[in-house]
Amino acid sequence: MKSKKLISTLLLSTLVIGLASCGGGDDPDDGGDGSVFDKFDGNLEVGATIKVVENDTAIKMGYLDELLDAFNEAYAEYNITAVDANQGEFADLPNSGPYGYGPDVIYQANDVLMGWVQDRHVTPLPVEKIEAYQSGVIPSAAQAAYQAEVGGVNYTFGVPLNIQSPLLYYRKDLLPADWETTWDDDQNGVPDMVENLVDLYEFSKIYHEQDNTKYGFEFSLNDFYFSSGYLFSYGAYLFGDNNRDDTDIGLHAGDARYGVQVLRQFAAEMSAACIDDSAKLAISGSMASGKYFSSVTTPDVRSVIVSTLATTYQSEKGLTLEEATALAEENVIGVPFPDLPANGDLINPSDEMIECKQMGGINGYAMSSYTKYPNASLAFINFATSYEMAKLREEFLQIAPARSDVSAESTELSKQLFDRVSNGSIVLMPSIKAIDQVWTPAGSFMGDVAADSNRGANAKYDTLDKIQAALEQLSQDIYDAIHLLDR
Amino acid sequence: MKRAFRRLGIKISDSWTNFINFFKVANTNTKASMSLMGLGQFMYRQVGRGIMYLGVEILGILFFAIYGFQWIVGLFTLGTVQGDPWTGKQGDNSVIFMLLGLMSVFLLILFIALYISNVRDANNTSKLVLKGEKPKKFKDDLKDLLDKKFYKTVLFLPLLGTIIFSVIPIVFMILVAFTNYGEPYIPPVLVDWVGLENFVQIFSLGEIGPTFFKILGWNILWAVATTLLNYVLGLLLAILLNKKIVKGKFFWRLFPILAYAIPGFITLTAFKFMFAQGGPINNMITSNGGSPIPFLTEDGTWWARFIGLMINAWLTIPSVMLLATGILSNINSDLYEAAKIDGAGSARQFKDITLPFVIFATTPTLITSFIGNFNNFGVFYFLRSTVTTEGYFVSNDTDLLINWLYRLSIDNQFYSIGAAISLIIFIITSSISLIIYIKSPAYKKEDTFR
Repeated sequence: MKSKKLISTLLLSTLVIGLASCGGGDDPDDGGDGSVFDKFDGNLEVGATIKVVENDTAIKMGYLDELLDAFNEAYAEYNITAVDANQGEFADLPNSGPYGYGPDVIYQANDVLMGWVQDRHVTPLPVEKIEAYQSGVIPSAAQAAYQAEVGGVNYTFGVPLNIQSPLLYYRKDLLPADWETTWDDDQNGVPDMVENLVDLYEFSKIYHEQDNTKYGFEFSLNDFYFSSGYLFSYGAYLFGDNNRDDTDIGLHAGDARYGVQVLRQFAAEMSAACIDDSAKLAISGSMASGKYFSSVTTPDVRSVIVSTLATTYQSEKGLTLEEATALAEENVIGVPFPDLPANGDLINPSDEMIECKQMGGINGYAMSSYTKYPNASLAFINFATSYEMAKLREEFLQIAPARSDVSAESTELSKQLFDRVSNGSIVLMPSIKAIDQVWTPAGSFMGDVAADSNRGANAKYDTLDKIQAALEQLSQDIYDAIHLLDR
Repeated sequence: MKRAFRRLGIKISDSWTNFINFFKVANTNTKASMSLMGLGQFMYRQVGRGIMYLGVEILGILFFAIYGFQWIVGLFTLGTVQGDPWTGKQGDNSVIFMLLGLMSVFLLILFIALYISNVRDANNTSKLVLKGEKPKKFKDDLKDLLDKKFYKTVLFLPLLGTIIFSVIPIVFMILVAFTNYGEPYIPPVLVDWVGLENFVQIFSLGEIGPTFFKILGWNILWAVATTLLNYVLGLLLAILLNKKIVKGKFFWRLFPILAYAIPGFITLTAFKFMFAQGGPINNMITSNGGSPIPFLTEDGTWWARFIGLMINAWLTIPSVMLLATGILSNINSDLYEAAKIDGAGSARQFKDITLPFVIFATTPTLITSFIGNFNNFGVFYFLRSTVTTEGYFVSNDTDLLINWLYRLSIDNQFYSIGAAISLIIFIITSSISLIIYIKSPAYKKEDTFR
């Protein structure tokens, strides 16, 4: 990745956009408060050292080194250097930035980065100087994830780069031998049980009957990042006004109770490991051993599942590591969440199916408000979110890009995720600080729902009315956690 | 209350009268030190002391003129200009203001103490001179610091460390309890003083008050139960392994020591894994046809409490055993011989010799153990931090006050409420500790076993 041509193109495009916008006084995003953007005067700070916080996987897989080398080479004439901030992927900007030792540029999920907006730890970006925005390749939903209104003015705080969302992973080699005739009613070449939850429910029962130590579908319901999509699919939402109004908690809205019922019914076909983190922690071993036919996790975990399965293949089938890894890669398949019955009942499902939504996030770059080098940092963000670097990132890390031009050349799954973000099937994590108050109570509630099938006559969620009351209480608890101490 | 104020008034009046009397009888040199630190010492030709006191005054005045005064003002205002990191506008950081103000108050107290010491010193020297003795030289003072007053030399650094690393943070925490520091009042937003509002909120607001009392009740039960359990079992284990009939004592003592040597969080993580819903214990139960037990889930309140007690016993008993083993070896065996001759059986010997001796020697340890258990953060944080319980404000029914404090302060950034709870915890634990200690034989019969 030391192509001079690539670097020259990037550098030129960055400078052209930067210079072209320097004279512009009609800044649509500055809301009349030009002083916020005064620091972006286009004069690169010669000799600057930019501290970059990156994702651990990007560091481990060598992508960050590639990025830093390419940037440093491109900006060598300005003596600008980008370095790994070495502050861990969850850099504590609020506690390090104000005291002068925080990072300059941070790559993180939108909920984390936008959680720092209210206290002004990340700075608004002049989007007219950023190539990714100017070229129109970022879908509006992803842009919205980095926008917030502060003091009546709408600002943009980050540049989207990747889509992250949990997926359903299954073992292709554990499908019934005759699945193409028995489990593919629509003859589309995709097994029905990974297309809709009703069939997965039926398949799970059969899978468990064949061997009572095995489960067709299992995941940790107490991880609200995984389980929230089932509620969203039936009309629930986290915060009102497109996830901006933390006074309106909507986990009980619409027919959210159906989503809880669906999960409660399926939990009865899962092991007790679905109640807490056990299923999540055991996912690679359990999928490799066939204990789980399918599960839910984030794409970064797939590589662990593949390598564990490869080890299993090596010992079971006597394959070489390369052969075993290739086979494992072929057999661990990720798909969006299966569709749900419109009536929210797996035991007596309706014919009508609805798309299952899933929670997701947009990872991107943002700039610390405390950076001494705003122009050099902006140049870095521009460079790192360019088409070439986004493509390279996708090749290295195999994660879905948020740029339409890179996504168009990507895998089918990446394209699916991109489309789901664009059409709202992936519900992006709210970009307000109040999201911190959601995870623990909502996760604890879902864990309690998962445990309900073991309670027999003492079940707490065996009717839709009980579920509705519990969801209303959950919304109230979250509201209280956010607002009870308001002064 | 009225009486207390009257007493205080009398005390102040007496102090003022004493000061006036002192001023009247003080000689010229003492009065000189009152007007300028070190002047009296110079007049007695105590040049070294004079330079030191004068230096303190000059440095003190310079410090308070340049920084100290404005820092103390800052402690009251907590800043007046709000910064804006977006525009680079420098503002006041209330937390830094509070810290610097606090430091200035401590330095002011130190300055006043040195001023009084300077007057006393001049007065003492005048008394020596009146007796016909010579004023002490600076090198005599230095010699004293290595001889008669060596304890001061040795204790200086620990005292300084305690003030910087313990006293100032504790006072800082106490001050925070009277502010609105916490979401959304976090620097760069200015923090303000709110008086007793945080305490009023804890005891009166919505679910916070009931949650506080529910957690406090469990916290006291936990602290008493786990302290007694660990103490009794540790002592019994020590006595058992102290018996002559036990063969291979070293070998048997090794096991608890191994449990003690493994870092607590590793042990806790292992126990959490074992008792997880999909963990080995539930796996064994289900593979034998049973139903999984909700050990640590929302339903598992008493299971989780019991497991917490057992895990804490696992972690703590070895240290109690080691302590008791050492103490038991100090009991004079003649006491047992005499008891035997007098016809006392093993139980009587334990009740009248072993137990009083061990309790006497370990009461301070018991108190620290009680406080440690009252504030035992790790056990339930590791076991159940992902669980919340209905009716508990951002907490669950196995959380101790310290866990709730963590959730409020760190997870939810309600720093001032957290500080107010810390203060309440401090008052509870210090009161209980003081009462136990004063009532204990270790305090009442201090000389018994000397």
